[in-house]
Amino acid sequence: MNPTADATSLSRAEQSNASVPLLDVRDLSVHFPFRRGGLLNAQQGFIRAVDGVSFQVAEGETLGIVGESGCGKSTTARAIVKLVRPTGGEVYLDGQRIDRLSDREMLPHRQNIQMIFQDPFASLNPRMTVGNIITEPMHIFHLYDRTQRKLEAMRLMDLVGLDPKFLNRYPHEFSGGQRQRIGIARALAVQPKLIICDEPVSALDVSIQAQVINLLMELQEKLGLAYVFIAHDLAVVRHIAHRVGVMYLGRLVETAPKAELYAHPRHPYTQALLSAAPIPDPVAERERKRIELQGEVPSPEKIYAGCSFADRCPIAEESCRGAQPMLEGGVHQAACFKAEL
Amino acid sequence: MTEPLLQVDDLRVEFRTDEGVVRAVDGVSFDLAPGETLGIVGESGSGKSVTNLAMLGLIPQPPGRISSGRALYRDEDLLTANAQRLSQIRGRHIAMIFQDPMTALNPFLTVEEQLTEVTRLHLRHSHDEAIAHAIDMLEQVGITGADKRVFDYPHQFSGGMRQRVMIAMALSCNPDILIADEPSTALDVTIQAQILDLMKQLQTDHGTSIIMITHDLGVVANICHRVLVMYGGKIVERADVDSLFANPRHPYTLGLLDSVPRWDTDITEKLRVIPGQPPDLANLPPGCAFYPRCSYREDRCQQSVPPAIERPDGGDFACFVDVDNVKPAEERT
Repeated sequence: MNPTADATSLSRAEQSNASVPLLDVRDLSVHFPFRRGGLLNAQQGFIRAVDGVSFQVAEGETLGIVGESGCGKSTTARAIVKLVRPTGGEVYLDGQRIDRLSDREMLPHRQNIQMIFQDPFASLNPRMTVGNIITEPMHIFHLYDRTQRKLEAMRLMDLVGLDPKFLNRYPHEFSGGQRQRIGIARALAVQPKLIICDEPVSALDVSIQAQVINLLMELQEKLGLAYVFIAHDLAVVRHIAHRVGVMYLGRLVETAPKAELYAHPRHPYTQALLSAAPIPDPVAERERKRIELQGEVPSPEKIYAGCSFADRCPIAEESCRGAQPMLEGGVHQAACFKAEL
Repeated sequence: MTEPLLQVDDLRVEFRTDEGVVRAVDGVSFDLAPGETLGIVGESGSGKSVTNLAMLGLIPQPPGRISSGRALYRDEDLLTANAQRLSQIRGRHIAMIFQDPMTALNPFLTVEEQLTEVTRLHLRHSHDEAIAHAIDMLEQVGITGADKRVFDYPHQFSGGMRQRVMIAMALSCNPDILIADEPSTALDVTIQAQILDLMKQLQTDHGTSIIMITHDLGVVANICHRVLVMYGGKIVERADVDSLFANPRHPYTLGLLDSVPRWDTDITEKLRVIPGQPPDLANLPPGCAFYPRCSYREDRCQQSVPPAIERPDGGDFACFVDVDNVKPAEERT
């Protein structure tokens, strides 16, 4: 026996179980090229939709990503599952790099990573029955035989709170909340480890939102799923996530365990965002103070030498415009030169 | 007590559809005081938007039909006013802003053309007066460089800025009443907060009454003085905003308040939910429309529609059950 070899194999075994995160996103960038001007004086530029985003998600964990429109949160989600091609960085799923794979090479990995979309009307094929929508992913991955697929679809419908007798109905016969349940059942059909949820409750009525949030949390408990949960609603994210990342102009500006982030936000953008988020309590609403931000989110085509938030930041100094702040800190990280650590 | 500016009495609006007659608004009565902000809360299909469209004569008839009711604005019934009179009132005395400012603004006309149209028509402004007024309004709603931006087209403005243009247009003639139908729903939170602040500021400056139609209880808590909660075409509860949040009496209000997550407190247990789906207005159950989803239901709720019961703090609610002294179904053993 060679003790060193044994030690390495042990550390590898440990890695594959414990220390390798389920999803590891490193320095992910998505830049969309655009042209401006005429034929002769055309200028090439880039929209930096996602610009150097890194995070990890462990098995069974929910990472919430919040931010305003155009901050790149949905593009990040789409780049992870390769619905848009990342222009830089690396994405590892279960320790294997997936961002450079061809569609064919990617296919087996898609069994582990599924997605739920915002619009429960546009994300289901209106010409397919619910049963066919849910069994299609099983077909693609050659899971089960014909009868088992049907039984499995009925089991999944029951699991997400739909009556299995509606197997042969079409999406238009269901309400928005029920359609979102169909989308969840479809995502679960191949027993994934990770589900990317892109604004899954924002198109739903308030009372239905709570139903779907609870369903996602129950499923996580039962099946050990991990979620990347993209949303603009800070309250919904606080409820469902374990850790939260805040995005601004294509970059993560702060990440922390949720209780920590909401109680002690460090980045001035997070502070402003929280101070603007409504509280369903008139007494609390009257007593709070809001941090005013100047202007609106600028266009992501602009290139900043320093901090991209400096133009709107209430505490920015001239030095903030010199270099770009990086995420710093332990479990609670903020990308700000002036944030108190 | 001050004389109400607007009094709506037993308003009923029906739509004829393939599935039968839909009672979108079913006996709604309320009034609006000068300078107050009245919230109307409810989910899709609760009748909150139709109520307001009906008052302004904006329900297409057919398929719609206003089958009963009065809507008295300064002692004049809007529901029986003719088209000419209504177009004098709309925009001049009662203005409306909508959820989606992009579809509500005409993409082919500059902001100047759209803003001056109202004032030239209603206030008989000359061309130059109207433009000066339009620039003044844009400045009031916080658009910088208004003297140049007034000649831009809607697509040259961001979403939040377009909503400001809509508000400027609605307030151009200094109306008595501003009806805002989900004005901040499509906007980001930081922009939403700016728009709500702006509406409060304009209310303080001009004394405008606001009807705020929304599903967002955070917005209600932020801006409203009094609230109506609608469900299935009816008002199920009304109260001033503090009483409603502190002491909801109707099971639907209670469920709504419990099902909204909060970001400012750490709630670790599951959210309370209202089970089931929003009501199908073509197939409402007899009795209380909320019966199929209610945790406090009793047999009598199925037999007759509960009448309005006075709340001790003013306002009323429509429920047979005393929610403080009855356990909800999920807590009974």
